[in-house]
Amino acid sequence: MLIQIETSSDIPIYTQLSNQLIELIARDQLKGGDVLPSVRSLASDLGVNMHTVNKSYHELERKGIIRIVPKSGAVINPSIRDGISQEHRLRIVEELKPIIAEAIVLGMNAEDIQQLASSILSDMKEE
Amino acid sequence: MSLSIFLITLAFIILLQSAIPFLLKGSIVFGVTIPEQHMKERAISSYKRFYSATILITGFLALIVYFLWAKNRTLSEDQVVFAGLAIQFGILFLCMIMYLYFHAKTTKLKRTHKWGAGLKPVRIADLASHAKDEMLPSYMFALPALITAGLLVYTASQYSQLPAMIPTHWDIDGQPDAFSQKTSFSAISLLLILLVIQGMMFGINVMTKRSGIKLTSAKKKSSQVQQLAFRKYSSWFLFFTTVLITILFGFIQLVIIQGGMGNAAFMAAVPLGFLSIMLIVTAVYAFKVGQGGSRIQVTAEEEETMDTTFVDDDQYWKAGIFYVNKNDPSIFVEKRFGVGWAINFGNPIGYIFLLVSILLILLISFFI
Repeated sequence: MLIQIETSSDIPIYTQLSNQLIELIARDQLKGGDVLPSVRSLASDLGVNMHTVNKSYHELERKGIIRIVPKSGAVINPSIRDGISQEHRLRIVEELKPIIAEAIVLGMNAEDIQQLASSILSDMKEE
Repeated sequence: MSLSIFLITLAFIILLQSAIPFLLKGSIVFGVTIPEQHMKERAISSYKRFYSATILITGFLALIVYFLWAKNRTLSEDQVVFAGLAIQFGILFLCMIMYLYFHAKTTKLKRTHKWGAGLKPVRIADLASHAKDEMLPSYMFALPALITAGLLVYTASQYSQLPAMIPTHWDIDGQPDAFSQKTSFSAISLLLILLVIQGMMFGINVMTKRSGIKLTSAKKKSSQVQQLAFRKYSSWFLFFTTVLITILFGFIQLVIIQGGMGNAAFMAAVPLGFLSIMLIVTAVYAFKVGQGGSRIQVTAEEEETMDTTFVDDDQYWKAGIFYVNKNDPSIFVEKRFGVGWAINFGNPIGYIFLLVSILLILLISFFI
Protein backbone atom coordinates (compact mmCIF):
# COMPACT_ATOMS: atom_id res chain seq x y z
CA MET A 1 0.00 0.00 0.00
CA LEU A 2 2.67 2.43 -1.09
CA ILE A 3 2.03 6.00 -2.16
CA GLN A 4 4.65 7.61 -4.37
CA ILE A 5 4.64 11.35 -4.99
CA GLU A 6 6.81 12.97 -7.64
CA THR A 7 7.71 16.43 -6.43
CA SER A 8 9.07 17.70 -9.74
CA SER A 9 6.03 16.59 -11.76
CA ASP A 10 3.62 19.04 -13.42
CA ILE A 11 0.67 17.21 -11.84
CA PRO A 12 -0.23 18.85 -8.51
CA ILE A 13 0.66 16.76 -5.46
CA TYR A 14 -2.95 16.50 -4.25
CA THR A 15 -4.02 15.10 -7.63
CA GLN A 16 -1.16 12.59 -7.58
CA LEU A 17 -2.27 11.53 -4.12
CA SER A 18 -5.96 11.12 -5.13
CA ASN A 19 -4.98 9.17 -8.25
CA GLN A 20 -2.78 6.80 -6.25
CA LEU A 21 -5.44 6.21 -3.62
CA ILE A 22 -8.02 5.46 -6.32
CA GLU A 23 -5.57 3.08 -7.99
CA LEU A 24 -4.99 1.24 -4.70
CA ILE A 25 -8.77 0.77 -4.42
CA ALA A 26 -9.00 -0.36 -8.06
CA ARG A 27 -6.26 -2.92 -7.36
CA ASP A 28 -8.23 -4.19 -4.34
CA GLN A 29 -5.41 -3.27 -1.95
CA LEU A 30 -7.88 -0.95 -0.24
CA LYS A 31 -11.48 -2.04 0.22
CA GLY A 32 -14.79 -0.47 1.14
CA GLY A 33 -14.88 0.26 4.88
CA ASP A 34 -11.07 0.60 5.22
CA VAL A 35 -9.92 3.69 7.09
CA LEU A 36 -7.34 5.97 5.48
CA PRO A 37 -4.58 7.45 7.66
CA SER A 38 -5.34 10.78 9.30
CA VAL A 39 -4.51 13.91 7.36
CA ARG A 40 -1.76 14.77 9.83
CA SER A 41 -0.04 11.40 9.75
CA LEU A 42 -0.11 11.02 5.95
CA ALA A 43 1.17 14.59 5.55
CA SER A 44 3.97 13.88 8.05
CA ASP A 45 4.97 10.66 6.30
CA LEU A 46 5.12 12.39 2.92
CA GLY A 47 6.60 15.59 4.37
CA VAL A 48 3.94 17.69 2.64
CA ASN A 49 1.57 20.36 3.87
CA MET A 50 -1.58 19.13 5.66
CA HIS A 51 -3.73 21.23 3.27
CA THR A 52 -2.45 19.12 0.37
CA VAL A 53 -3.70 15.87 1.95
CA ASN A 54 -6.90 17.56 3.09
CA LYS A 55 -7.61 18.80 -0.43
CA SER A 56 -7.07 15.33 -1.83
CA TYR A 57 -9.39 13.73 0.73
CA HIS A 58 -12.10 16.29 -0.04
CA GLU A 59 -11.73 15.63 -3.74
CA LEU A 60 -12.23 11.89 -3.09
CA GLU A 61 -15.24 12.68 -0.92
CA ARG A 62 -16.78 14.77 -3.68
CA LYS A 63 -16.33 11.85 -6.07
CA GLY A 64 -18.16 9.60 -3.61
CA ILE A 65 -15.13 7.33 -3.10
CA ILE A 66 -14.55 8.08 0.57
CA ARG A 67 -16.64 9.45 3.42
CA ILE A 68 -15.22 11.79 6.00
CA VAL A 69 -16.79 10.64 9.27
CA PRO A 70 -16.25 12.75 12.40
CA LYS A 71 -13.93 10.93 14.86
CA SER A 72 -13.20 7.87 12.69
CA GLY A 73 -11.71 9.95 9.87
CA ALA A 74 -11.64 9.16 6.14
CA VAL A 75 -13.39 5.85 5.45
CA ILE A 76 -13.61 4.25 2.01
CA ASN A 77 -17.25 4.20 0.97
CA PRO A 78 -18.62 0.65 1.55
CA SER A 79 -20.94 1.02 -1.43
CA ILE A 80 -18.16 1.49 -4.02
CA ARG A 81 -18.34 -0.97 -6.93
CA ASP A 82 -22.05 -1.53 -6.26
CA GLY A 83 -22.86 -0.11 -9.67
CA ILE A 84 -22.26 3.43 -10.91
CA SER A 85 -24.82 6.19 -10.50
CA GLN A 86 -25.98 8.28 -13.45
CA GLU A 87 -24.22 11.33 -12.04
CA HIS A 88 -20.79 9.64 -11.74
CA ARG A 89 -21.15 8.02 -15.17
CA LEU A 90 -21.71 11.44 -16.75
CA ARG A 91 -18.62 12.82 -15.02
CA ILE A 92 -16.44 9.91 -16.20
CA VAL A 93 -17.64 10.41 -19.78
CA GLU A 94 -16.86 14.12 -19.49
CA GLU A 95 -13.34 13.40 -18.25
CA LEU A 96 -12.60 10.55 -20.67
CA LYS A 97 -13.77 12.35 -23.81
CA PRO A 98 -10.93 14.90 -24.10
CA ILE A 99 -8.33 12.20 -23.43
CA ILE A 100 -9.69 9.95 -26.19
CA ALA A 101 -9.91 12.98 -28.48
CA GLU A 102 -6.27 13.82 -27.72
CA ALA A 103 -5.24 10.22 -28.46
CA ILE A 104 -6.99 10.36 -31.86
CA VAL A 105 -5.46 13.73 -32.70
CA LEU A 106 -1.99 12.46 -31.82
CA GLY A 107 -2.44 9.49 -34.19
CA MET A 108 -3.91 6.56 -32.27
CA ASN A 109 -6.69 4.63 -34.04
CA ALA A 110 -9.74 3.01 -32.44
CA GLU A 111 -7.98 -0.36 -32.15
CA ASP A 112 -4.94 1.18 -30.43
CA ILE A 113 -7.16 2.92 -27.91
CA GLN A 114 -9.16 -0.23 -27.16
CA GLN A 115 -5.97 -2.24 -26.79
CA LEU A 116 -4.54 0.34 -24.40
CA ALA A 117 -7.73 0.30 -22.32
CA SER A 118 -7.73 -3.48 -22.01
CA SER A 119 -4.04 -3.64 -21.13
CA ILE A 120 -4.56 -1.08 -18.36
CA LEU A 121 -7.57 -3.07 -17.15
CA SER A 122 -5.72 -6.37 -17.03
CA ASP A 123 -2.80 -4.70 -15.27
CA MET A 124 -5.14 -3.45 -12.52
CA LYS A 125 -6.68 -6.91 -12.08
CA GLU A 126 -3.34 -8.68 -11.94
CA GLU A 127 -1.98 -7.34 -8.66
CA MET B 1 37.38 11.28 41.95
CA SER B 2 36.49 14.09 39.57
CA LEU B 3 39.51 13.17 37.44
CA SER B 4 38.25 9.62 36.87
CA ILE B 5 34.73 10.91 36.08
CA PHE B 6 36.16 13.29 33.50
CA LEU B 7 38.45 10.64 32.01
CA ILE B 8 35.52 8.24 31.52
CA THR B 9 33.21 10.89 30.08
CA LEU B 10 35.94 12.26 27.78
CA ALA B 11 36.85 8.82 26.45
CA PHE B 12 33.16 8.19 25.83
CA ILE B 13 32.64 11.48 23.97
CA ILE B 14 35.74 10.96 21.84
CA LEU B 15 34.78 7.40 20.85
CA LEU B 16 31.16 8.25 20.08
CA GLN B 17 31.97 11.44 18.15
CA SER B 18 34.61 9.75 16.02
CA ALA B 19 32.25 6.84 15.32
CA ILE B 20 29.42 9.09 14.11
CA PRO B 21 30.19 9.02 10.35
CA PHE B 22 29.89 5.23 10.51
CA LEU B 23 26.63 5.27 12.44
CA LEU B 24 24.94 7.31 9.73
CA LYS B 25 23.00 6.27 6.66
CA GLY B 26 25.15 6.11 3.56
CA SER B 27 22.69 8.40 1.81
CA ILE B 28 23.33 11.43 4.04
CA VAL B 29 26.97 12.43 4.21
CA PHE B 30 27.86 15.33 6.51
CA GLY B 31 24.29 16.58 6.21
CA VAL B 32 24.16 16.36 2.41
CA THR B 33 21.82 14.00 0.56
CA ILE B 34 23.78 11.69 -1.73
CA PRO B 35 21.93 9.50 -4.29
CA GLU B 36 22.39 5.73 -3.85
CA GLN B 37 24.65 5.45 -6.90
CA HIS B 38 27.31 7.71 -5.40
CA MET B 39 27.25 6.55 -1.79
CA LYS B 40 30.47 4.59 -2.12
CA GLU B 41 32.61 7.24 -3.87
CA ARG B 42 36.21 7.27 -2.73
CA ALA B 43 36.22 10.99 -1.86
CA ILE B 44 33.32 10.50 0.53
CA SER B 45 34.89 7.62 2.41
CA SER B 46 38.14 9.56 2.73
CA TYR B 47 36.22 12.50 4.26
CA LYS B 48 34.66 10.16 6.80
CA ARG B 49 37.97 8.53 7.69
CA PHE B 50 39.70 11.90 8.02
CA TYR B 51 36.95 13.18 10.33
CA SER B 52 37.10 10.12 12.58
CA ALA B 53 40.89 9.91 12.69
CA THR B 54 41.33 13.61 13.53
CA ILE B 55 38.89 13.47 16.43
CA LEU B 56 40.22 10.16 17.71
CA ILE B 57 43.88 11.25 17.63
CA THR B 58 43.43 14.83 18.93
CA GLY B 59 40.96 13.62 21.52
CA PHE B 60 43.17 10.92 22.99
CA LEU B 61 46.27 13.17 22.91
CA ALA B 62 44.28 15.75 24.91
CA LEU B 63 43.13 12.99 27.25
CA ILE B 64 46.70 11.79 27.92
CA VAL B 65 48.02 15.33 28.44
CA TYR B 66 45.12 16.04 30.82
CA PHE B 67 45.77 12.84 32.76
CA LEU B 68 49.54 13.47 33.12
CA TRP B 69 48.96 17.12 34.05
CA ALA B 70 46.44 16.23 36.75
CA LYS B 71 48.53 13.32 38.10
CA ASN B 72 51.83 15.16 38.49
CA ARG B 73 50.70 18.27 40.26
CA THR B 74 48.83 19.09 43.38
CA LEU B 75 45.75 20.73 42.01
CA SER B 76 42.53 21.84 43.58
CA GLU B 77 39.34 19.99 42.66
CA ASP B 78 38.10 23.13 40.87
CA GLN B 79 41.12 23.26 38.57
CA VAL B 80 40.66 19.62 37.57
CA VAL B 81 36.95 20.19 36.91
CA PHE B 82 37.59 23.37 34.95
CA ALA B 83 40.25 21.80 32.73
CA GLY B 84 38.09 18.72 32.17
CA LEU B 85 35.13 20.84 31.09
CA ALA B 86 37.36 22.97 28.86
CA ILE B 87 38.65 19.84 27.08
CA GLN B 88 35.09 18.52 26.67
CA PHE B 89 33.95 21.74 25.04
CA GLY B 90 37.14 21.87 22.98
CA ILE B 91 36.46 18.44 21.51
CA LEU B 92 32.83 19.23 20.77
CA PHE B 93 33.94 22.49 19.15
CA LEU B 94 36.47 20.61 17.02
CA CYS B 95 33.72 18.19 15.92
CA MET B 96 31.53 21.13 14.97
CA ILE B 97 34.26 22.83 12.90
CA MET B 98 35.22 19.58 11.15
CA TYR B 99 31.55 18.89 10.44
CA LEU B 100 30.96 22.30 8.87
CA TYR B 101 34.16 21.97 6.82
CA PHE B 102 33.17 18.58 5.40
CA HIS B 103 29.56 19.70 4.97
CA ALA B 104 30.83 22.47 2.67
CA LYS B 105 33.19 20.08 0.86
CA THR B 106 30.50 17.45 0.27
CA THR B 107 28.03 20.10 -0.93
CA LYS B 108 30.62 21.29 -3.43
CA LEU B 109 31.40 17.74 -4.55
CA LYS B 110 27.73 17.05 -5.16
CA ARG B 111 27.24 20.29 -7.07
CA THR B 112 30.29 20.02 -9.34
CA HIS B 113 29.56 16.39 -10.25
CA LYS B 114 25.79 17.08 -10.59
CA TRP B 115 24.92 13.97 -8.59
CA GLY B 116 21.30 13.02 -8.82
CA ALA B 117 20.59 15.40 -11.72
CA GLY B 118 18.88 12.82 -13.96
CA LEU B 119 16.84 11.24 -11.20
CA LYS B 120 13.17 11.79 -10.43
CA PRO B 121 12.79 12.88 -6.82
CA VAL B 122 9.92 10.99 -5.17
CA ARG B 123 8.41 10.86 -1.71
CA ILE B 124 7.13 7.51 -0.50
CA ALA B 125 4.65 6.68 2.24
CA ASP B 126 3.13 3.37 3.27
CA LEU B 127 -0.51 3.71 4.36
CA ALA B 128 0.03 0.81 6.77
CA SER B 129 3.21 2.22 8.42
CA HIS B 130 1.55 3.58 11.53
CA ALA B 131 -0.33 0.34 12.20
CA LYS B 132 3.08 -1.37 12.50
CA ASP B 133 4.55 1.31 14.75
CA GLU B 134 5.79 -0.17 18.05
CA MET B 135 6.70 2.96 19.99
CA LEU B 136 5.82 2.75 23.67
CA PRO B 137 2.36 4.09 24.48
CA SER B 138 2.62 7.54 26.02
CA TYR B 139 0.80 6.60 29.24
CA MET B 140 3.88 4.50 30.11
CA PHE B 141 5.69 7.82 30.53
CA ALA B 142 3.06 8.96 33.01
CA LEU B 143 3.73 5.96 35.28
CA PRO B 144 7.03 7.27 36.78
CA ALA B 145 5.05 10.35 37.88
CA LEU B 146 3.19 8.06 40.32
CA ILE B 147 6.50 7.51 42.12
CA THR B 148 6.97 11.29 42.30
CA ALA B 149 3.44 11.66 43.68
CA GLY B 150 4.19 8.99 46.31
CA LEU B 151 7.40 10.79 47.30
CA LEU B 152 5.48 14.10 47.57
CA VAL B 153 3.01 12.52 49.98
CA TYR B 154 5.83 10.88 51.95
CA THR B 155 7.77 14.18 52.17
CA ALA B 156 4.62 15.95 53.42
CA SER B 157 4.10 13.29 56.09
CA GLN B 158 7.73 13.60 57.24
CA TYR B 159 7.84 17.39 57.01
CA SER B 160 8.15 18.00 60.75
CA GLN B 161 11.07 15.55 60.95
CA LEU B 162 13.08 17.33 58.21
CA PRO B 163 16.23 19.24 59.25
CA ALA B 164 16.05 23.06 59.39
CA MET B 165 18.55 23.31 56.53
CA ILE B 166 17.80 21.34 53.37
CA PRO B 167 20.74 20.27 51.19
CA THR B 168 20.47 21.66 47.65
CA HIS B 169 23.85 20.75 46.19
CA TRP B 170 26.26 17.86 46.60
CA ASP B 171 30.00 17.67 45.92
CA ILE B 172 31.55 15.06 43.67
CA ASP B 173 31.88 12.62 46.61
CA GLY B 174 28.17 12.81 47.38
CA GLN B 175 28.48 15.07 50.43
CA PRO B 176 26.08 18.04 50.68
CA ASP B 177 27.92 21.37 50.30
CA ALA B 178 25.07 23.87 49.95
CA PHE B 179 21.88 24.25 51.96
CA SER B 180 18.76 26.37 52.05
CA GLN B 181 16.15 27.20 54.71
CA LYS B 182 13.44 24.61 55.20
CA THR B 183 10.19 25.77 53.59
CA SER B 184 7.42 23.73 52.04
CA PHE B 185 8.83 24.79 48.65
CA SER B 186 12.47 23.91 49.24
CA ALA B 187 11.46 20.54 50.70
CA ILE B 188 9.83 19.47 47.45
CA SER B 189 11.66 21.56 44.82
CA LEU B 190 13.65 18.53 43.70
CA LEU B 191 10.44 16.59 43.15
CA LEU B 192 8.97 19.52 41.21
CA ILE B 193 12.00 19.49 38.90
CA LEU B 194 11.54 15.74 38.50
CA LEU B 195 7.89 16.28 37.56
CA VAL B 196 8.88 18.80 34.88
CA ILE B 197 11.46 16.35 33.47
CA GLN B 198 8.87 13.56 33.44
CA GLY B 199 6.38 15.88 31.70
CA MET B 200 9.05 16.78 29.13
CA MET B 201 9.79 13.11 28.38
CA PHE B 202 6.05 12.40 28.08
CA GLY B 203 5.67 15.32 25.64
CA ILE B 204 8.68 14.21 23.56
CA ASN B 205 7.19 10.72 23.26
CA VAL B 206 3.79 12.11 22.21
CA MET B 207 5.39 14.37 19.59
CA THR B 208 7.86 11.84 18.19
CA LYS B 209 5.04 9.33 17.89
CA ARG B 210 3.14 11.75 15.69
CA SER B 211 6.10 12.42 13.43
CA GLY B 212 6.25 11.00 9.93
CA ILE B 213 7.65 7.61 8.90
CA LYS B 214 9.74 8.54 5.88
CA LEU B 215 10.75 5.84 3.42
CA THR B 216 13.61 5.76 0.94
CA SER B 217 12.57 5.18 -2.68
CA ALA B 218 15.35 2.75 -3.56
CA LYS B 219 14.95 0.76 -0.36
CA LYS B 220 11.25 0.88 0.46
CA LYS B 221 11.01 -2.28 2.54
CA SER B 222 14.28 -2.12 4.44
CA SER B 223 13.94 1.60 5.14
CA GLN B 224 10.54 0.94 6.67
CA VAL B 225 11.88 -1.84 8.90
CA GLN B 226 14.74 0.44 9.97
CA GLN B 227 12.48 3.43 10.60
CA LEU B 228 10.15 1.34 12.75
CA ALA B 229 13.09 -0.11 14.68
CA PHE B 230 14.56 3.35 15.21
CA ARG B 231 11.23 4.61 16.56
CA LYS B 232 10.77 1.62 18.83
CA TYR B 233 14.28 1.69 20.29
CA SER B 234 14.37 5.47 20.68
CA SER B 235 11.14 5.38 22.70
CA TRP B 236 12.59 2.57 24.85
CA PHE B 237 15.75 4.62 25.34
CA LEU B 238 13.68 7.64 26.34
CA PHE B 239 11.65 5.56 28.79
CA PHE B 240 14.75 4.00 30.31
CA THR B 241 16.24 7.47 30.79
CA THR B 242 13.04 8.67 32.47
CA VAL B 243 13.03 5.71 34.88
CA LEU B 244 16.73 6.13 35.68
CA ILE B 245 16.33 9.86 36.40
CA THR B 246 13.29 9.10 38.56
CA ILE B 247 15.33 6.57 40.57
CA LEU B 248 18.23 9.01 41.02
CA PHE B 249 16.01 11.92 42.08
CA GLY B 250 13.92 9.66 44.30
CA PHE B 251 17.08 8.43 45.98
CA ILE B 252 18.33 11.98 46.60
CA GLN B 253 14.93 12.98 48.00
CA LEU B 254 15.03 10.03 50.42
CA VAL B 255 18.53 11.10 51.45
CA ILE B 256 17.21 14.62 52.14
CA ILE B 257 14.42 13.22 54.30
CA GLN B 258 16.49 10.60 56.12
CA GLY B 259 19.54 12.86 56.42
CA GLY B 260 22.06 10.69 54.58
CA MET B 261 22.39 6.94 54.37
CA GLY B 262 25.43 7.03 56.61
CA ASN B 263 27.83 5.30 54.25
CA ALA B 264 29.95 7.91 52.39
CA ALA B 265 31.26 5.42 49.81
CA PHE B 266 27.69 4.43 48.90
CA MET B 267 26.66 8.09 48.56
CA ALA B 268 29.49 8.66 46.09
CA ALA B 269 28.81 5.44 44.19
CA VAL B 270 25.18 6.22 43.32
CA PRO B 271 25.76 9.22 41.01
CA LEU B 272 28.78 7.46 39.49
CA GLY B 273 26.69 4.36 38.86
CA PHE B 274 23.98 6.53 37.31
CA LEU B 275 26.55 8.15 35.00
CA SER B 276 28.08 4.84 33.89
CA ILE B 277 24.73 3.17 33.22
CA MET B 278 23.62 6.21 31.21
CA LEU B 279 26.84 6.20 29.13
CA ILE B 280 26.67 2.45 28.47
CA VAL B 281 23.00 2.54 27.47
CA THR B 282 23.62 5.54 25.19
CA ALA B 283 26.50 3.75 23.48
CA VAL B 284 24.52 0.53 23.04
CA TYR B 285 21.60 2.51 21.62
CA ALA B 286 23.78 4.53 19.21
CA PHE B 287 25.77 1.54 17.94
CA LYS B 288 22.85 -0.87 17.74
CA VAL B 289 20.36 1.45 16.09
CA GLY B 290 22.37 4.04 14.17
CA GLN B 291 20.85 7.02 12.38
CA GLY B 292 17.23 6.24 11.56
CA GLY B 293 17.92 2.55 12.26
CA SER B 294 20.66 2.36 9.61
CA ARG B 295 22.58 -0.22 11.63
CA ILE B 296 19.62 -2.57 11.90
CA GLN B 297 20.28 -5.48 9.55
CA VAL B 298 17.41 -6.11 7.16
CA THR B 299 17.13 -9.07 4.81
CA ALA B 300 14.16 -7.80 2.82
CA GLU B 301 14.45 -8.17 -0.93
CA GLU B 302 14.19 -4.92 -2.84
CA GLU B 303 13.02 -4.25 -6.36
CA GLU B 304 15.67 -2.27 -8.16
CA THR B 305 14.48 1.27 -8.80
CA MET B 306 17.40 3.26 -10.06
CA ASP B 307 15.67 6.09 -11.93
CA THR B 308 14.23 7.67 -8.79
CA THR B 309 15.81 9.10 -5.68
CA PHE B 310 14.27 10.35 -2.48
CA VAL B 311 13.49 14.03 -2.31
CA ASP B 312 16.55 16.05 -1.58
CA ASP B 313 15.44 18.16 1.39
CA ASP B 314 18.88 19.72 1.90
CA GLN B 315 17.23 23.13 1.45
CA TYR B 316 15.31 22.64 4.72
CA TRP B 317 18.47 21.74 6.66
CA LYS B 318 20.23 24.98 7.51
CA ALA B 319 24.00 24.26 7.62
CA GLY B 320 22.95 20.62 7.59
CA ILE B 321 22.01 20.90 11.28
CA PHE B 322 18.78 22.82 11.82
CA TYR B 323 15.59 21.57 10.19
CA VAL B 324 13.21 24.38 9.23
CA ASN B 325 10.22 23.22 7.16
CA LYS B 326 6.87 24.92 7.64
CA ASN B 327 5.11 22.43 5.36
CA ASP B 328 6.10 19.33 7.32
CA PRO B 329 3.65 18.79 10.20
CA SER B 330 6.21 16.61 12.05
CA ILE B 331 7.47 18.35 15.19
CA PHE B 332 10.45 16.03 15.53
CA VAL B 333 12.38 14.51 12.64
CA GLU B 334 15.26 12.09 12.46
CA LYS B 335 18.59 13.75 13.20
CA ARG B 336 20.79 14.58 10.23
CA PHE B 337 24.22 14.11 11.78
CA GLY B 338 23.94 11.79 14.74
CA VAL B 339 21.51 9.32 16.23
CA GLY B 340 18.17 10.50 17.59
CA TRP B 341 15.61 13.20 16.94
CA ALA B 342 15.92 16.83 15.83
CA ILE B 343 13.35 19.60 16.23
CA ASN B 344 11.51 21.06 13.25
CA PHE B 345 12.06 24.79 13.78
CA GLY B 346 9.39 25.47 11.16
CA ASN B 347 6.84 24.36 13.75
CA PRO B 348 6.96 26.40 16.98
CA ILE B 349 5.14 23.82 19.17
CA GLY B 350 8.29 21.71 19.66
CA TYR B 351 10.80 24.34 20.65
CA ILE B 352 8.33 26.37 22.72
CA PHE B 353 7.51 23.19 24.67
CA LEU B 354 11.18 22.46 25.33
CA LEU B 355 11.98 26.10 26.19
CA VAL B 356 9.10 26.27 28.69
CA SER B 357 10.23 23.01 30.35
CA ILE B 358 13.83 24.18 30.68
CA LEU B 359 12.69 27.59 31.94
CA LEU B 360 10.54 25.92 34.60
CA ILE B 361 13.46 23.80 35.78
CA LEU B 362 15.71 26.89 35.94
CA LEU B 363 13.04 28.89 37.80
CA ILE B 364 12.55 26.16 40.41
CA SER B 365 16.29 25.75 41.01
CA PHE B 366 16.74 29.53 41.14
CA PHE B 367 14.10 30.09 43.82
CA ILE B 368 15.16 27.34 46.21
